[in-house]
Amino acid sequence: MSALGGGAAGGEGINPTASLIALVIVLVAVAVVFVVYPAALVPLIGVIIGGVLISFGVHFVPVGGAPAAMGQAPGIATGVAMLAAGGGLAGLFGGAWAAEFGIAISLAAGAIGGGLLMAITCLMVNVVYVYAMGIPAASGKVDKDPITGDTFPAYKSQGTEGHGLPFISYVGGVLGGLFGGMGGTLIYYELLQVYEEALPSFLGTTEGMTTLAVSLAGIFAVGMFLVAAVLTAYNITGTIEGPHDPKFKRWPRAVIGSSAASAVCGLFAILLVVI
Amino acid sequence: MEEILFGIGISALAGALATVAGAAEDTESDIGSQGDPNSQVQLAPQMGYVHRIYNKAVSGEPPAYGLWVALAAGVAWALMAIQFNAILALVIGSAVAVFVQGVYATTAYLGRTASLAKFEQPVYIDILKSVTSVTMAHAFVAIFATVTMCFLMIEALGHPFPLPLMGIVWGIALGAAGSATGNPFYGKERQYQNYPFGAGLPISASGDIVRYAEAGERSSIDNGWFTSKGAGPASGICFGLIVFFELWRTILFEPFAAGWGAVIAGVVIIIVFMVIDRYVETWARNTYGPYNTEEAAPEEEAAA
Repeated sequence: MSALGGGAAGGEGINPTASLIALVIVLVAVAVVFVVYPAALVPLIGVIIGGVLISFGVHFVPVGGAPAAMGQAPGIATGVAMLAAGGGLAGLFGGAWAAEFGIAISLAAGAIGGGLLMAITCLMVNVVYVYAMGIPAASGKVDKDPITGDTFPAYKSQGTEGHGLPFISYVGGVLGGLFGGMGGTLIYYELLQVYEEALPSFLGTTEGMTTLAVSLAGIFAVGMFLVAAVLTAYNITGTIEGPHDPKFKRWPRAVIGSSAASAVCGLFAILLVVI
Repeated sequence: MEEILFGIGISALAGALATVAGAAEDTESDIGSQGDPNSQVQLAPQMGYVHRIYNKAVSGEPPAYGLWVALAAGVAWALMAIQFNAILALVIGSAVAVFVQGVYATTAYLGRTASLAKFEQPVYIDILKSVTSVTMAHAFVAIFATVTMCFLMIEALGHPFPLPLMGIVWGIALGAAGSATGNPFYGKERQYQNYPFGAGLPISASGDIVRYAEAGERSSIDNGWFTSKGAGPASGICFGLIVFFELWRTILFEPFAAGWGAVIAGVVIIIVFMVIDRYVETWARNTYGPYNTEEAAPEEEAAA
């Protein structure tokens, strides 16, 4: 119970009514697309899966927010949605570049692009902590690194919850980048297919269509990425250390929410060119 | 072969531009106090510590840089569409974006600082005059370098994104890399310079930022001087490595295995960075050692 007498915030439970509403929203969006423009049904499902991948991936990213900037808490010293967006959009850059090779390579390139940004960023975070600030990595949520077996309690400086990026958080960051990059690229790729097919008949010309299709798909992918990432940031409420953090167990809730949000955004993105 | 060499040259140039952009971005955000450490600048007057530090964190660095770089890219793109010289268009686009940054910085400083009036924190007009132009100058370097890098990716390497979209993507990535790498150095090492080196800041000390310099009160411009020796170059290297490896692996390895070559190269690069990170982490544990013994730590926690 909070100080104001309301219910406790957060928690890991799933609200059945809200989940049902989310499911209905997804089904309605799919049904509308099926009726209006059946060719876009598979792309819409791809967009929803993309949103789900982004949302799931954001939970892996170790974000310490403001406390991390003073070495008071572990993680990367920036916002959840922002860091995930950085990684995911770098992935989108790679995925869009490889789109001509087909969906498999495009998705893999997107995932690697996001993972690479996170791998380099997380390394530089640890380099700054270790070589510029003289602070070793220590988790505040677990006593032992699940991967390396390093113990943390003795490496936490007094009065802090830990600092830096332990190896499990590093791996979490890379995984988050991989999922985010893949999700963003999937949304881009699927929307691009719809636009390339629908735009010429919609506008009655093929001149400059490729640029328009790429631009529209790209900006919608960026927008939907931010929708899924910000929704997930609300689910995380503040900071998270990575896959070993108890907050990680909240992911099903964000995934349900993001699937509904992606379905609605995807529906509008498709209706834009078919109505 | 010639095409690959050309591509690698462009990758190196883009990486160099990204390095400059990352360093300028972080220094700009530290002078303007835009990253997460600004929570302490905002908190300090509420704890009774009135200061003369700039305060413009009404937005995170990634969306702010997403806006400014996209704006510069959009203006440059429009000018190029009416046959302006590309370099001139990029300069004018960046200049327009910097004016927006200046308006943003001014209103953010006035708004955030005025909100602390009840804690007797004054709004210093001389700070507004002296620091805003310094953040604008650094922002120009960061924006121009990033938008030029985006232009190279499209014109020389053939990426399908139009310039404004590329500006959003790399602007947000620039802000993410710069804030992630640079924030702890500005937050812990500079704002809490009087606390012991080699340890995190105790949570109970929050708000007690350093407010005085060798002579008089500390200025935000001095914060830029300090962080440009550590956090700035680190952020530059971070963003430079991201851009260079992203382009290099694609240019060099995409022709292999029907496109899978770039993916495999990316996996190898990620694993190499992972190994380096593990080395850095182990080095710190072995060199610095624990703060206290393993047995004492849980007891202390229980006592607390």
